[in-house]
Amino acid sequence: MHLLRIALRSLNNRRFTALLTIFAIALSITLLLAVERVRTETRASFASTISSTDLIVGARSGSVNLLLYSVFRIGNATNNIRWGSFEHFAEHPQVKWAVPMSLGDSHHGYRVLGTSEDYFTHYQYGRKQHLKMRDGRFFSNEAPFEVVLGAEVADALDYQLGQEIVLAHGVATISLVNHDDKPFTTVGILERTGTPVDRTLHIALAGMEAIHIDWHNGAPAYGNQKISAEQALQMDLQPKEITAMLLGLKSKIATFALQREINQWRGEPLLAILPGVALQELWSLMGTAEKALFVVSLFVVLTGLIGMLTAILTSLNERRREMAILRSVGARPWHIAGLLILEAFALALAGITLGVVLLYVGIAVAQAPLQSYYGLYLPFSAPTLYEWTLLGAVLLAGILMGAVPAWRAYRQSLSDGLNIRL
Amino acid sequence: MRKLFWITLLICSFNTAFAAELRTLKWEEMVPADAPPLPPPAALHGFDQLADMLAAESEPAAEQQYPNAPIVPELDGLKVKLPGYIVPLTIDESSRVTEFLLVPYFGACIHVPPPPSNQIVYVTSEGGVALGDMWQPYWIEGTLSVESFSSEMGDTGYRAEAEQIYPYVFDSPAIKNNR
Repeated sequence: MHLLRIALRSLNNRRFTALLTIFAIALSITLLLAVERVRTETRASFASTISSTDLIVGARSGSVNLLLYSVFRIGNATNNIRWGSFEHFAEHPQVKWAVPMSLGDSHHGYRVLGTSEDYFTHYQYGRKQHLKMRDGRFFSNEAPFEVVLGAEVADALDYQLGQEIVLAHGVATISLVNHDDKPFTTVGILERTGTPVDRTLHIALAGMEAIHIDWHNGAPAYGNQKISAEQALQMDLQPKEITAMLLGLKSKIATFALQREINQWRGEPLLAILPGVALQELWSLMGTAEKALFVVSLFVVLTGLIGMLTAILTSLNERRREMAILRSVGARPWHIAGLLILEAFALALAGITLGVVLLYVGIAVAQAPLQSYYGLYLPFSAPTLYEWTLLGAVLLAGILMGAVPAWRAYRQSLSDGLNIRL
Repeated sequence: MRKLFWITLLICSFNTAFAAELRTLKWEEMVPADAPPLPPPAALHGFDQLADMLAAESEPAAEQQYPNAPIVPELDGLKVKLPGYIVPLTIDESSRVTEFLLVPYFGACIHVPPPPSNQIVYVTSEGGVALGDMWQPYWIEGTLSVESFSSEMGDTGYRAEAEQIYPYVFDSPAIKNNR
């Protein structure tokens, strides 16, 4: 105990170097933990985005690509699929439910999803949770100009029920081409889910059809070619194509059979994926990058610890007198060694503590922007067992590093510091 | 050395004692003995069959060979140990696979028609398994149940509640014991 007090006093005497060392270790610890946090939370948020959907069907591309654009709203579809294909598989005897999805438009950078009422009934996330309404109701298939907002959209843009919204063509945050002749009315706001649903505006497929009804050759109509919202309502708003569909099957055993049937269907080139398999593929892709980041942060921690070692070693020379006085008043060589190990321990512990504090401050600051820009939610959770293990390992490494100067001080003789050497 | 031998033998005999209760199932045993033989698989091996494959391509889609393959009802309620590959269906927040299909071969879904329904087990597991690579086979231990839904399409099949899931290590003592 005396030894620890002496060590702390001695450190206090050199507080500037000590603080810098602590800060270097703290930053490296924050980096290490942040990489770990982001890694596990990305995985968790990806995994909890879709549940109980047996197959996702879209145009033929790659399984990861289809998963990303249909469920996570990352990237864009390569192609649309025909409405007839949707009808064909929705009526398939193995299919329990089918939900169409149509993407491509946006509102202030938030994606617009054209779908049917069934989306609300069948889409599940997390541990098989259904979507819940915070306010209002879900849109009706028959009312094309109704929109249901995700929680994040409503909160960020401060929208209430009854609000009129103009959708934009394309998915840019600032869009130059708006569907301003056909505004939508907010009829509902969903509960927060922690998934991309929060950042989505939901409209009926008929609405998606209506806003594009007077478009010709990929450009909006001009002058008297324009069709007003009222006129559009009188027209046939049956969609001709959709972007993807979600399927729920009657029996899980039939998944492969139906997947094969869809992939080989001659009506149109389609791709059916099992969300779990695609997610696993995505993770094995991300795994390499995660490992690289982890190794880099480990090296940063190592650099921090070596910085500490350097600081202690260089101080040894200045502290020859200190050691010698301690020896002369009765300290044994192992006392001196213990002193230096305790010093390393104190520095490492303070660094780790400050690092953890910095991490939580960082989470507090970055939580909101991360959520709105990247859809990544970092919770304020206590360190996990794995994180504790990492911290313990760093502390142990710090103590081991302390053994090097301890050994050198242990070897220095009593007379070493008492002689006047200039 | 001799001591080691006796210890090993002891451990092995324990293993077999447990194995008596837990039946190590082979995939063949899940097909009834009197079932009609399966048609040969349509895999392509070699370019000389390319023309045939292209011809097959223009035919209607390959149906599951046996959408409603016969099952062995006697296996119902049996505690079994079965090796296979995991095709994940549900993944929880801690990246553990809690629902999956167990199949006897990996990549079963691409170049041959999907396995018959009696060669797929729908497995649910409370704790799940942290799946690394999809090509890693696993042992599952649990109670098998035979489910037959009343449906016109292939809805009969095996289902298992897994109590233990662990990697299948090639040439492990467990395999030797059961030979």
